Amino acid sequence: MPDLQELGEAIKRGDRDQSAMLTNAAIAAKVPAQEILDVMVAAMDVVGQRFQKNEIFVPEMLIAARAMKESLALLEPLLVDAGITPIAKAVIGTVEGDLHDIGKNLVAMMWKGANFDVIDLGTNVSPQKFVDAVRDNNAQLVGLSALLTTTMPAIKATVAALKAAGLDTAKVVIGGAPVTQEYADEVGADGYAPDAASAVNVARALL
Amino acid sequence: MNGRERLLAFLTGDSVDSLPLMPITMMYAADFAGVKYGQYVTDFRALVESQIAIADAFDFDFVSCISDPAREAADCGARVAMFEDQPPAIVETDALLASKSTLSTLTIPDPRTATRMGDRVRAAALFRERVGDRKLIEGWIEGPCAEAADLRGINTLMMDFFDDPAFVRELFEFTLELGVQFARAQVEAGADLIGVGDAAASLVGPEIYREFVWPHEKRLVDELHAMGTRVRLHICGNTTSILEPMGQLGCDIVDLDFMVPMDKARAAMGPDQILLGNIDPVRILRGAAPETVRAAIAQCHQQTRPRYIVGAGCEVPRATPEANLRVLTDYARSTMP
Ligand code: B1M
Repeated sequence: MPDLQELGEAIKRGDRDQSAMLTNAAIAAKVPAQEILDVMVAAMDVVGQRFQKNEIFVPEMLIAARAMKESLALLEPLLVDAGITPIAKAVIGTVEGDLHDIGKNLVAMMWKGANFDVIDLGTNVSPQKFVDAVRDNNAQLVGLSALLTTTMPAIKATVAALKAAGLDTAKVVIGGAPVTQEYADEVGADGYAPDAASAVNVARALL
Repeated sequence: MNGRERLLAFLTGDSVDSLPLMPITMMYAADFAGVKYGQYVTDFRALVESQIAIADAFDFDFVSCISDPAREAADCGARVAMFEDQPPAIVETDALLASKSTLSTLTIPDPRTATRMGDRVRAAALFRERVGDRKLIEGWIEGPCAEAADLRGINTLMMDFFDDPAFVRELFEFTLELGVQFARAQVEAGADLIGVGDAAASLVGPEIYREFVWPHEKRLVDELHAMGTRVRLHICGNTTSILEPMGQLGCDIVDLDFMVPMDKARAAMGPDQILLGNIDPVRILRGAAPETVRAAIAQCHQQTRPRYIVGAGCEVPRATPEANLRVLTDYARSTMP
């Protein structure tokens, strides 16, 4: 019986080789895909909480997310076979004029870790590009990140563009250092998350 | 005392007539002088005239060559996007060192003749000509970690610490030497002090900071001192977890961003370290009422005095009300350390 707990630990440590090896072992031993997935998701939750508490920092978080991503890729065919689909389709990006992407990447990885299907549009994404991606992919969740006070208005413009395009059924979560709950309320976003770990909880609650 | 006298006296521990004042202005200075930022970063004359205008108007004790992090990377060959009225941006998706093997082919550009570094060296020289000994002249370089992030891509560098420590060390050797040479050219041209911006260092925790970043920052600081100049270290972001080692670098000035509690910094670095900062640039300096700005700067001072220099946590943001910036001037000029 492969050690699923060890798999969780390998992901938390960001040990991509070990986590891939243990994922393959679990698959070979016919552990149900859902069980393997649950272990990975739980591990990423812990990683997010440690980051929130300043116990780990950006490098540790990035390698953990990478290990998770690679293990998830190994598991994907089995998830499809078992009819286990991602719980939501999400589109995420940093808003127009803004090139900061580390925080956005962490949110994207945490969302992937929570079994969302995430389409990452990158940085400097125009409102129209968000609209097109949400429409083309039928996304239920949209993540907007802004790190500059000067680019916060682009959040507002993107929310407005989604509404104008009739895509307001997709839930919009916003975040980034200068962004606040009040700002989310003001621009009509559905949710605000101060960090990557809470971005998962906020999204889960909205869906 | 003029600004240069005040700062030089303060740095050596001599008595001064009021608190020194060194807020970072870049886009704010350009806007103030009616210069587009694209011109500010490419024409040293525009930068120098804007800096002198703002420093005179607000009685800053210094003028600075700081403008954007992309100068060294651009001259090394990195792809950099330029804008009419925004800071240049390194194109991270097409990073110069996307392939690690490119490192061995890189050479350090001659800072005096390379396009963007040379422009900054000329700024230092023109400052000397224009301000003489009235104000302290600050040169600027990227720190070893920030420059490594500029060349390699910041997201990738963060994983390199685990994936390939030997590569990181080799890269930091290069960025350290690049910084030293760039600094030397600015000092020779007239800079009195070198500002070192090592923003990416705030993203790593204490272990990686101590193992990889600190030894290179330390060597940089020592080399700068050996060339007879002074050092201001600024790491954008939350550096609370690395305050202690930062205090052991021997920098003349440690300039802290707003997320760092100043009392903690004082406790971690001891009574002699000169601290600079650190009111919240956006929420307080730009966004709050003058009374709030005053209370915030007074608190920074109370928590760190007497070895304290007035400034914001980072760049004074665009569209900061002049009345708010004036509060910093009034506080500095009316208060003793
Ligand atoms: C979808 O839902 C969600 C939910 C939660 C979300 C979310 C989305 N997005 C983020 N979150 C949240 O979760 C994340 C994880 O918990 C968190 O994400 P964060 O992104 O906050 O945190 C990251 C994990 C780590 N933090 C970061 O990655 C940002 C670090 C700092 C140092 C920073 C960096 C690294 C950079 N910078 Co920039 N930079 C700074 C930052 C200083 C600081 N004080 O933090 C900041 C953000 N920068 C600033 C500035 C001014 C600039 N920067 C610029 C450039 C850069 C670099 C390119 C050099 C680099 C970015 C590289 C990259 N690939 O991202 C320029 C602008 C370029 C542009 N057009 O975007 C430039 C204008 C500087 C210049 N003059 O050139 C300041 C913004 C001030 C303001 N409020 O407007 C700044 C605060 C520095 C300062 N103290 O002044 C949460 O906010």
